Amino acid sequence: MKTLTLALPSKGRIKEDTAAIFARAGLTILAIGNDRSYRGRIDGMDGVEIAYLSASEIARELASGAVDFGVTGEDLVREGMAGVDEKVEFCARLGFGQADVVVAVPEIWLDVETMADLGDVAADFRARHGRRLAIATKYWRLTQQFFSRQHGIQLYRIVESLGATEGAPAAGQADIIVDITSTGSTLKANHLKILSDGVILKSQACLVRARKAEHDADPRVEQIVRAVRSVTGGTDD
Amino acid sequence: MPLIDMPEFAGDLLEEFETRRTVRVNTPVIQPAEPFLDMAGEDLRRRIFLTESETGASLCLRPEFTIPVCLRHIETATGTPKRYSYLGEVFRQRREGSHEFYQAGIEDLGETDVASADARAIADAAGILSRLLPGRALTLTLGDQAVFEAVVKALGLPLGWQKRLIQAFGDMAHLEALLERLARPQPVAGLNSEIADLVTSGSEDELVARIDRTMQETGYSTNASRSPTEIARRLKEKLTLAETKLDGSALLLLREFLTLRLPLSEASAALAGFADAAGLKLGSAIAQFDARLAALSNIGVDLSSMTYRAAFGRPLDYYTGLVFEVTEAEASAVLAGGGRFDRLLTLLGATDHIPAVGFSLWLDRIEMARASR
Repeated sequence: MKTLTLALPSKGRIKEDTAAIFARAGLTILAIGNDRSYRGRIDGMDGVEIAYLSASEIARELASGAVDFGVTGEDLVREGMAGVDEKVEFCARLGFGQADVVVAVPEIWLDVETMADLGDVAADFRARHGRRLAIATKYWRLTQQFFSRQHGIQLYRIVESLGATEGAPAAGQADIIVDITSTGSTLKANHLKILSDGVILKSQACLVRARKAEHDADPRVEQIVRAVRSVTGGTDD
Repeated sequence: MPLIDMPEFAGDLLEEFETRRTVRVNTPVIQPAEPFLDMAGEDLRRRIFLTESETGASLCLRPEFTIPVCLRHIETATGTPKRYSYLGEVFRQRREGSHEFYQAGIEDLGETDVASADARAIADAAGILSRLLPGRALTLTLGDQAVFEAVVKALGLPLGWQKRLIQAFGDMAHLEALLERLARPQPVAGLNSEIADLVTSGSEDELVARIDRTMQETGYSTNASRSPTEIARRLKEKLTLAETKLDGSALLLLREFLTLRLPLSEASAALAGFADAAGLKLGSAIAQFDARLAALSNIGVDLSSMTYRAAFGRPLDYYTGLVFEVTEAEASAVLAGGGRFDRLLTLLGATDHIPAVGFSLWLDRIEMARASR
């Protein structure tokens, strides 16, 4: 049988939390070679390989089908590919790495509390300021889906921001942001507020499977999913 | 241009363009991406092929011709009126069909006789298609944003609500959501009492000063895009708009208008009848609608074969009046799409107001239609 590859986060809290969940699920991960190796295997399960990758690489490898399973944030998976539900299955939500992808505007925009308010402001923006409303984000796909398709807002521009996005409005790089937040404290420190209907996605770490035909006949796939679900109590919702 | 993979009817098209007195222009395949994203919105981003120059400038493969043709017109500054035609490849990420395909079309820039220019664009598109697809039943559907704007205005809604509805025209789901809000106004939430008092007590200066102070304290002033005055005024407007309620009969009228769909030959009478029954004065929008119909009849277009659909529009802010598209009867693939975009050239940087109307032909779909006979 073909080797199954599980891509797991290579560092940080999310790596430890993943290892803990897998251990509780009876899938003990053993390092191949030494402790700092980026390859591993599951104790007692043949033909299953662990690849340690960065969280965003895991999303990409799932999109291309280069790995069979991955543990990474739902935000990265949904941002990383079009037609996500056709390409992957969210098998289990793991209960850590919680963070929301949100629309946040300057606190002082007293007139903007909802997406509808933002729609009004965006519609007038060009006439008032000679340019479109600018949104700083690294989530251009999620932003575009949320603004254009869910809220009928077409007239805005995305300014790609790869870090310190919360600072963009004060620095004049953008007017508002779409970013990830867990406690909201960084937003608050930068005098930004989340719109009342501005939560695009409630993300957390997930066990994600790349949809492949050969998985149907592979008992190990079912075994891994069932083991992880048994300790998370979660299914795909 | 590689002639070898052009549609076999390209020669016919070029002949048509010449007979219809247009100047054929070409534009580079590699275009700056900004104007497309600026005009059509970020929704376009996932549908175009983006790349970057060595210096970091955002470039894309030409996704359509209207913007490049207009930009070229502005750059060459050769004056109006001008009738341009084009035939070339465009590039789009599509779920179905090839990512590169041919489009052709006509852009009529600067003709001040709007009714005649509209009529000519429709007649050109219909005429060319009937030559390329002889004997086939084609359906032309026509809409007019100006008529919708007149209806909304005549209902006596505040300007802010008019803008919202007009902005959503062509996006039925969004429009429905707005009508729902007009039927059941919701109070404004999330305002602290100090600000609410300032707004209701009516002192704009105090409110502006209060906003300005907070902006200074939080270090937001230096690069703020929206000024304290803009925020204060919109806050006031928002509170007024939130109380706007459209009574049941007015909502019914608006919904009834949006369901209008009938042969173009009957549209004039139907709109007049609608305005009468509703007690609405639609004034110049109807006059222009009628003038366009008269111009169409003058050049021998059969109005009974075309359809007017009141809700047909495109939710982009540069479209102004006429929109139309042609499909094969019973099929959904748009073979030709066009409309009036009087705002586009100034948005792209033209110093003068240049009225504009045009259409493009989807040559890959026309080719398929020809093959399916």
